[in-house]
Amino acid sequence: MSRLGAFPQDLGDTLLRMLPHRAPTGLIAIGRPGRDAPVLVTGNYTLTVRRLRRALAGHEAWLLCADSRGINVWCASGGGHFTHHDVIAAMRTTRLSERVDHREVVLPQLSATGVERRRIEEATGFRARWGPARLEDLPDFLARGRRVVQRERLMRFPWRERLEMAVAWGWPLLAIAVGLGWGLVGPGPAVGVGVAVVAAVAGLYMAVPRVRLAGRGRWAVFAVFAVLGALLGALVLWLWQAAGVAAIASTTAAPFVVLALLGLDFEGTTPWYASALAEAGRAEVELVEERCTGAAACVQVCPRGVLVMDGRRRKVRIAEPDACIRCAACIVQCPEDALRFRFDDGRMVEATEIRRTRLNMLGKRTVVVGGGDD
Amino acid sequence: MGSFAWMRVLESSAERYDRGIRWLSGGRIDEVYRAVAVAATTGRTAARVLDVGCGTGGLALACAARGAHAVGIDRNAGMLAVARAKALPAGASGSVRWLELGAAEIEDVFEPRSFDAVVACLSFSEMTDDEQAYVLEVVRTRLVAGGRLIIADEVRPRQAWRRAWHAVRRWPVAGLAYLMTQTGTRPVDGLPDRVRGAGFVEVGEERRWGDAFAIVQALTGGEAGSAAVRSGAAGAEVEGP
Repeated sequence: MSRLGAFPQDLGDTLLRMLPHRAPTGLIAIGRPGRDAPVLVTGNYTLTVRRLRRALAGHEAWLLCADSRGINVWCASGGGHFTHHDVIAAMRTTRLSERVDHREVVLPQLSATGVERRRIEEATGFRARWGPARLEDLPDFLARGRRVVQRERLMRFPWRERLEMAVAWGWPLLAIAVGLGWGLVGPGPAVGVGVAVVAAVAGLYMAVPRVRLAGRGRWAVFAVFAVLGALLGALVLWLWQAAGVAAIASTTAAPFVVLALLGLDFEGTTPWYASALAEAGRAEVELVEERCTGAAACVQVCPRGVLVMDGRRRKVRIAEPDACIRCAACIVQCPEDALRFRFDDGRMVEATEIRRTRLNMLGKRTVVVGGGDD
Repeated sequence: MGSFAWMRVLESSAERYDRGIRWLSGGRIDEVYRAVAVAATTGRTAARVLDVGCGTGGLALACAARGAHAVGIDRNAGMLAVARAKALPAGASGSVRWLELGAAEIEDVFEPRSFDAVVACLSFSEMTDDEQAYVLEVVRTRLVAGGRLIIADEVRPRQAWRRAWHAVRRWPVAGLAYLMTQTGTRPVDGLPDRVRGAGFVEVGEERRWGDAFAIVQALTGGEAGSAAVRSGAAGAEVEGP
């Protein structure tokens, strides 16, 4: 389906992005794949599946659509809704081993917070390798012989996706603000309220990632965008000749209220920061150097370039700690359990516990301590 | 019985699952555990029982209380941690062990004819249709000849007015659960037919609670455990663009 033809569906999924949208699970043929065609694993989120089909148009591949409960791979993996068990189940139920001659699947890199690569290899005999972080890099990845280059491992947050997030998170607040404005002071002021809110929310998302919008300092930036929104709203009131005390008051207050609500966890609506509500957001990733064997599995899955391989010492190094978003993918994938979370109070949470509890920026808020398999 | 869609909220915090599921079921979930455990163990001493999707372990422990040697498998490590923390009921002569394992991975761990009974409570409703078909075929091979399958799960009522009433009751809860956990469950359609389709015989169904909950029982035929999983029967393919 063309981008234009799919626009209504894409828009619907974007507007209701916080709800699951389930695509059918199974093995999808892209082009006319043969028994040697690559197998690309993804979740069953409708928007992702449509975008994958478009990105891979002209290629021949199998798309193994596993059950991520209709949630995008990044959120589903972090939240514990998409794990290696789901990938294994999809491989088994589609009889993948009977459909292809090779023994390799390509996993989406952003599933590394919840999908343990080694568990898939142990259970299925297939080699599992990480693909790029973003689906639009898949054609280059395939053309290169299924090899990822470092820049494809890094998360990007282009303006179109920032706009999508602004729409997805802003429209319910906009609808409430405009509805209240209309009801309280009439249609003219409601237009001012609407413009003020849209300008404030859109401006905020467009500022990412140029302006840091995490931590307590974010409130100052929020205030700036609320003022800008209020000014634009006031301009509309003036043009509409709808000025009045109630109109000006509601148009001025609306962007402040909306951004205050959004600001409770603005970070969590982006792939750029750790959620302000997640316990993991208060932790630091710590490397236990004596355990590190230089396997560099962590480097392959870090979407922010935090970790680098020191080839001379055959050890990994935490090079950009401030860029870390606490997704815990590095901790989950390390074969030596050489990475862990350390909290301000000195508490440490080891890899086994993080795998068990999905303690990360999206997943569990607290840790349940339990034993291993009996 | 309230809607089991709320289960997703409960599972998002395993520690509150037991309390919540009792509340959802009006305190009757233990009746279900007991009824399934009785069906799984009657006529067999020290029955070997596999609990698929055991969650916090209520059903596996009920089986162990009746002398079974139960194995509870679940893909959710948080739920298993809660199960492990529970003690066997006083005087129980059986045993229980827990494994983090997906339902489609049963064949990796257990040999054919490993169990006298396979039980599942509120876990089939979390599987895709393909996975249900696959798991039914695999568990048939893991049961002994004459072994028993018992599935207890949310289903759609058979009468139209009951379906409508159930939907009215279910959707507000399901919507809230969606907002809180971004996922949900769905009633299992045509469960007895699916069980028959996987090669089980003597399939029976008992409906409870406004016809919206079913306990399905079936037996393996004489050849159970000897047949390989039927090739291609559960494969799912979506055609290309």
